[in-house]
Amino acid sequence: MLKSTYKPSPGLLQPLPPGWTEHKAPTGHTYYYNATTKESTYKRPGAVPVPMDPATSYFQHQAVPQINLSDPVVANAFMAQYTAPPPQQQQHGGQRGGFGGPGGGRGGGFQSRPRPQPVDKPRSKVAIPGHDPWILVYTKYGRRFAYNSAKNASYWRIPEKLMPAILELDQARIRQKAAGTASAEQEDGKATASSGPVPRKEQQQEQEPPQHDYDSSEYEEVEVTDDEGDEEQDGNAPKRRRTEDAADDGPVEFTEADIAAQLAAMGADYGDEYDGYDEEMDEGDEGLPLSDSDARELFKDLLNDFNINPYSPWDKLIEEGKVIDDARYTVLSTTKARKEVWEEWSCAKIQELKEKRATEEKKDPKIPYMAFLQEKATPKLYWPEFKRKYKKEEPMRDTKLSDKDREKWYREHINRLKIPQATLKADLKKLLESVPLSALNNQTMTSHLPPQILGDIRYISLDPQIRDPFVEAYIQGLGSPPAADERAQEEENEAAKTARNERRKREKALEERERAVAEGKRRQEKKLQFERHRLRDEERELERAMHVSKKGLQSQLAATVVDKPAAEVSAEKNREAIR
Amino acid sequence: MPAIRAASKRKPPPEGFSDLEEDLLVFSNKMKDAQNAPTDNIPKHQAQWPVFQISHQRSRYIYELYYEKEAISKQLYDWLLKNGYADALLIAKWKKQGYEKLCCLRCVQTKETNFNSTCICRVPKAQLKEGQDVQCVSCGCRGCASCD
Ligand SMILES: [Zn+2]
Ligand SMILES: [Zn+2]
Repeated sequence: MLKSTYKPSPGLLQPLPPGWTEHKAPTGHTYYYNATTKESTYKRPGAVPVPMDPATSYFQHQAVPQINLSDPVVANAFMAQYTAPPPQQQQHGGQRGGFGGPGGGRGGGFQSRPRPQPVDKPRSKVAIPGHDPWILVYTKYGRRFAYNSAKNASYWRIPEKLMPAILELDQARIRQKAAGTASAEQEDGKATASSGPVPRKEQQQEQEPPQHDYDSSEYEEVEVTDDEGDEEQDGNAPKRRRTEDAADDGPVEFTEADIAAQLAAMGADYGDEYDGYDEEMDEGDEGLPLSDSDARELFKDLLNDFNINPYSPWDKLIEEGKVIDDARYTVLSTTKARKEVWEEWSCAKIQELKEKRATEEKKDPKIPYMAFLQEKATPKLYWPEFKRKYKKEEPMRDTKLSDKDREKWYREHINRLKIPQATLKADLKKLLESVPLSALNNQTMTSHLPPQILGDIRYISLDPQIRDPFVEAYIQGLGSPPAADERAQEEENEAAKTARNERRKREKALEERERAVAEGKRRQEKKLQFERHRLRDEERELERAMHVSKKGLQSQLAATVVDKPAAEVSAEKNREAIR
Repeated sequence: MPAIRAASKRKPPPEGFSDLEEDLLVFSNKMKDAQNAPTDNIPKHQAQWPVFQISHQRSRYIYELYYEKEAISKQLYDWLLKNGYADALLIAKWKKQGYEKLCCLRCVQTKETNFNSTCICRVPKAQLKEGQDVQCVSCGCRGCASCD
């Protein structure tokens, strides 16, 4: 029946046997746990691939849509999920057991249901021209799937070979719609249904209970209406189903119950399988402005924000899963696309880091050594003694400096300490004067002097208590930084500003998109609520009719099979009668 | 008396090692786990698969850093190879056309196999029967042909 495309383990790994789940220890190690046997192991349990445990696949079905919302198709499936029955409903009637087996749920149907539930159900079917046993089934909530009536197998993912024929069907339908032909029955496949003379819209209005807070104009927007007959069909569905069930002793043909069973079985994992696009369902995503480059940049923002190490492997990013819950993770719809952007990002990031380091290196490592000399060097110690005494200090061990240089600077510094202070001051002044205004000006902070000063031996010759006020006074006498420098800085600010603005724009686009998805979800929920209301009302209606006259009802039901609107009308009459 | 070099005197790794240190440690830990994991209830031929996988992943990690991202220096790359962080022979294969994704060296050694040919995992997916699921015995690879 349905083959799941879910791969539990990437690449080389074997799928875990049923019951086993993968976990991450706080230490970062992966381990495996079996909830049934309470066993846990570091070793990946290997086994011959076993058909997926329904419970597991339900889990996947729950988990998957959350991480794939960027794909409109998946987003739609996600929204449709909210119209699907709750899990216990799916297990109802033993249909779950049929999952995976041929003809699963055949006859499971709806007979044992205490009351009709707003379950997604087949609305119409149409033979796919040129592919004999294949039938395209549309569901009430606008999904569709391919059904092979010979093999009794259904696929949300429409097989490739059927695509051209289905495309033609779609085009034909769009043409019909455009031509304004009320082509409901033709396309609808439920040839038995005939539209009565009652104006449908009016009828719909009558059925609508006045007490619920449902906003009907909104309803119109979401309702899947590619043909006029929809609302009426939907309105009658529960009644028709009942009558069919009553008369249904073992149909030999592919019936609605068959498709319904297929649908119920598929419900267990359509999160993975769903791929059948549907123009009507796409509406929610139309016109959402999230360009490809925006999506890529958003994904890069995400990597930046989470401080992802650009040197780390891709697998680590996925295993850690830190970024997966962020909405920006799903702006790119495939893992392949994500990995591609990640690669681009990590390459650029590494280059950036390299450049930054290269400039930093120019300052280092002489600066800390000079500062160390100023602090520790004394004429009382010869170099070998000094070296031995401080061999464990960081500036003495830094591999970027040679011991020869260290020794040279030590001797020079000690010698300079004998020079009169006035000379030292003059030397320092010379040093300060040698630095261009762009690097040293009246806006320079004494705590952030340029490296060419900090690394110079003349800077450390004077005691800081004398030196620092001297330097400060000198700086105050300097002019402002040159204009050219200002402009460069402004340009840099400009670039930063543009980057910031662009990022804000991208994030806004993402927000809008999410809002639209949430809105769609909300509408679906509202619709679902409405369906519940309506079904309950109809139930009540029928019960009341039952009380009135059993006999009358039977005749009505018989009539329903051929002529639903008539049944509808007589139900109305019954209601009149009660009043 | 032989000179015993103190740990502090050992030559430090080349620059840039600190960028990879953490991830290399993760690989090392995974490797240790894989090597120490009990193999009692696992078919003998499968016992070494995780070790092969981790070794492959780590080599790939270093290969990509050096050849694709140019993120590490030649000096550091050579040092990593010398110190066993990556498999130089396997990386040499990846540089050859047709072997870009090779899983392990065993899978291209014809002598070791029963059929005197390379491993099943080297067969491109296109040449397999549709839906045929392969997994080689030597390293657990599910397919590593370049065109897949
Ligand atoms: Zn292989
Ligand atoms: Zn192999």
